[in-house]
Amino acid sequence: MIELNQVTKMYGNVVGVNDLNVNLNSGAYGLIGPNGSGKTTLINLLIGHFHPTLGSVRVFGKNPIRHRTILRNIGLCPASDVLYPNVSAYEWVKYLVRLHGISRRESRELAEQALQIVGMSGAMHRPMGTYSLGMRQRTKIAQAIAHQPDLLILDEPYNGLDPVGRADMTAVLKSWTDQGRGLLFASHVLQEIEAVTSSFLLIYGGRLLASGTADEIESILADTPQQVSVIGPDAARLVHHLAEVPWVDSLSLSAGRTELKVSLRDPGEFYRQLPHWIRGESLAIERLQASNGNLEALFDSLLKHHRGETP
Amino acid sequence: MSKLTLPIDVMLFELRRSRTLGRIAIWFLLVAFPVAIVTAVHLITKFERGDEYVADDFIEPLGMAMYFLIPEVSCLLGLLLWATPAISTEIEGQTWVYLTLRSSGRRMVLVGKYMTSVVWTLSASLAAVALCTVVVGPTIGSELWWVLTKLVVLSCFVHAALYLLIGTLFYRRTMVAAVAYTVVVEYVVSFIPALVNKFTINYRLRGLLADWMQWADARSQAENVFGNEPASTHLQMLGVMIVLFLGIALYRVEHTEYPTQQEG
Repeated sequence: MIELNQVTKMYGNVVGVNDLNVNLNSGAYGLIGPNGSGKTTLINLLIGHFHPTLGSVRVFGKNPIRHRTILRNIGLCPASDVLYPNVSAYEWVKYLVRLHGISRRESRELAEQALQIVGMSGAMHRPMGTYSLGMRQRTKIAQAIAHQPDLLILDEPYNGLDPVGRADMTAVLKSWTDQGRGLLFASHVLQEIEAVTSSFLLIYGGRLLASGTADEIESILADTPQQVSVIGPDAARLVHHLAEVPWVDSLSLSAGRTELKVSLRDPGEFYRQLPHWIRGESLAIERLQASNGNLEALFDSLLKHHRGETP
Repeated sequence: MSKLTLPIDVMLFELRRSRTLGRIAIWFLLVAFPVAIVTAVHLITKFERGDEYVADDFIEPLGMAMYFLIPEVSCLLGLLLWATPAISTEIEGQTWVYLTLRSSGRRMVLVGKYMTSVVWTLSASLAAVALCTVVVGPTIGSELWWVLTKLVVLSCFVHAALYLLIGTLFYRRTMVAAVAYTVVVEYVVSFIPALVNKFTINYRLRGLLADWMQWADARSQAENVFGNEPASTHLQMLGVMIVLFLGIALYRVEHTEYPTQQEG
């Protein structure tokens, strides 16, 4: 479905994405990375909007820049908002479907169907300027699926959706993947992607740090130094224990002495020992914040693994 | 067939979305301002001359005033508003990415927007020509109407292609680039008595005005302004300009990585 070979994209001296190698068969994938990590650059390369500085991009076996007809098979819901305030959702979606060269009659039917799928039938003739953020988000999804593409690319699709809207959107996306269609779901929130797919691509600083299922990524992290924060009034009292063990790389105590950051070479041993220390000295520890609950720390760990800084 | 009518659908969409009070007000303004000026000039002249007023004597000065006000100013203002920001408004509004993703998006949108700018400006300019000819009366108006109508049509098609090209080349500060080009090239260079003025649109339009109105005196006294080439040469040059400008604009829009205004 998607093939990237040593793809690098530079914006002048700034690296957008760096030496990406990806080969994805048809299926659903989550593209996860913090803001500015290169997700949108990667998406723009996939839709042929950007030319790679180095390497080659292929979608369904074709170069999307040279073969624009391939775009007929791709639907994109970008992160940017829709800003045609006096145009209705129906007119806009119909117009975008029509721009694929699909006949007027079919464009009308496809636009209506797509708006029905995302639950916008009731409001589809109202100007988009009167829509809530959530309604505009649904309309954006509708324009992405209306021409019935084989690959749907979503860039932060849950932006602006309330919990009910999120649940509805998740149902739409699950139904999409159940039909065997391709999905690439970009987000900086892991939990959003987990609800739809268990296959991830992790991108950070323009580099693909890891790919695979959640279990596979956890197994990579098992051997990787990880940052764990121990938070509580007695966090400082753990310092003397941790300073004496060989599997701790560094310790950092916050100014208020309530948060202790520990860089671990053997997280397993840490989690085995910690309860004994807490119970033994009746320490008041409120919570642990491990890397898998903190995206930045997770990416830090993966970046170290990527650079070969693992033991 | 479905693809051939696509630019028309783009045009209808663009016209539909531009049905705003601001745009409608500008349309009326573009019609009203040349009419107001021509009316004032005509009334003042009639008042000053009194019984000695002979309409035939004023065909040339009023014709030049109407030519300057409509094909050279009104048309350009309308097209500056429509053709120049064709791409930049989509980029700034973050809607370009939706269009570029469509298999026929870039080219068809550009051609559709070209047609939209021509239709919108042409409608205002032709209305202005018609009203001005009514104001100056049948003696002057009957001679001028057909010639000015042809010049307005040509001005709209060529200037729209030019501004569309400028819009694809300078997607930032598009208006500044277009206004600067118009002032420097179309209003200054076109009057320079050298080879360079032959490459301007206004020189060709003025040449056609003098030729079609058979203003031999004007042509002989100000050759650098009105030229001495036959109408067919001017028409060919304008045709070449349209093809060239649109061709480069289409190439540019197809191959340029315009920013998507997105981060991530």
